[in-house]
Amino acid sequence: MKQHEQLEDRIEALLADAAYAGHPLREALTTLFESYREQTRLIERVSRIADRYQDAERDRGLSYAARYQRQLRQIEKIVRISDRYQNMLRDMNERLHWLSSRDELTGLHNRRHALLRLREELQRLGRHGGQFCLVLADVDHFKSINDSYGHDVGDRALAAIAQGLSEEVREYDVCARWGGEEFLLLFPHSGIEEVQSILGRLRHQVAILSGQFLPAGAAALTLSFGLTLCRDAAEPLNAMLQRVDLALYQAKGQGRDCVVIG
Amino acid sequence: MQDLIVEGSGSNPAIRADWEAGCVEMKGDSYPENAFELYQPVIDWIESFLARESRPLRLQLQLLYLNTSSIRAMMDMLDLLQGAHDGGHAVGVEWRYERENERVAELAEEFREDYTFPFDILAHD
Repeated sequence: MKQHEQLEDRIEALLADAAYAGHPLREALTTLFESYREQTRLIERVSRIADRYQDAERDRGLSYAARYQRQLRQIEKIVRISDRYQNMLRDMNERLHWLSSRDELTGLHNRRHALLRLREELQRLGRHGGQFCLVLADVDHFKSINDSYGHDVGDRALAAIAQGLSEEVREYDVCARWGGEEFLLLFPHSGIEEVQSILGRLRHQVAILSGQFLPAGAAALTLSFGLTLCRDAAEPLNAMLQRVDLALYQAKGQGRDCVVIG
Repeated sequence: MQDLIVEGSGSNPAIRADWEAGCVEMKGDSYPENAFELYQPVIDWIESFLARESRPLRLQLQLLYLNTSSIRAMMDMLDLLQGAHDGGHAVGVEWRYERENERVAELAEEFREDYTFPFDILAHD
């Protein structure tokens, strides 16, 4: 038993003792003891209320913390999902960029990309001088391949030729499908002799490849080439293209399977 | 309560909330200029349905791209469904995606994380 409880018990016993009845100190002690009891009750009550306020504040603090944690988790999730959507868009963008610059059948660069690179090359010529070569190649008698063996074989022939062309050109050269069975080749920083030697290898490679997919007995595939040297940055692009196109036309006129310099 | 219909466009999905059917459909891309303006009526509609009806509510989604504020709005809606589910209301989500577009399914799975109500991710051709 605590000390103050022992004291309270002792005082209660003394006040209850009939031996002290009528004693003046007993009356005074009774009043004092009641006052003491009242004060104790008040203190306990105030303490209880204060404790409840403290508990409520603590709970409120905990709910703020829980809400903060929940919002933090939500934001982290939003950021995570948003990042994934951005990655998805970036990949789709890269894919679209690839598709917009490539020819679907052959995987080579397409006409749009070839024109872009041609303009860039002309601009470089304007800034730094130098030269480049432009080549237009056309598959000889391609219509007869389609007619004789069907379009599937024709498509495979184009894809094989494209593969042969892109394997033989250098990394910084451009090899594009210009249209139908026509291919455009751009050789930066190159002169006629250098390109003629590359074209020689190309023709050889195409002959080998064509033997791999054309039926036995079929004539080997050949290409006709128009080749032109470009040195004048002021020359309109169209004029350059017309010149190489004319050279190709002449190659066809000279019996095909040859290179004509225009 | 009236049905809610928002025509789809390039930047916002087609939205159709059918009170009678207890179903909200959203289909398309979502990168509106003001996601709050677009989605607040949908959120209000869902809140009303959950408050007034005891019938199940289904959310049918066929969403491709969502910008950040649309993701936020979507999570607000899913949180509403979670609250209803916790209170015993039958709710469910069906997120449909084109089979070849597996990344959409992965994103739907990211959304599904943390929720305990039925949340199906379904491929279609």
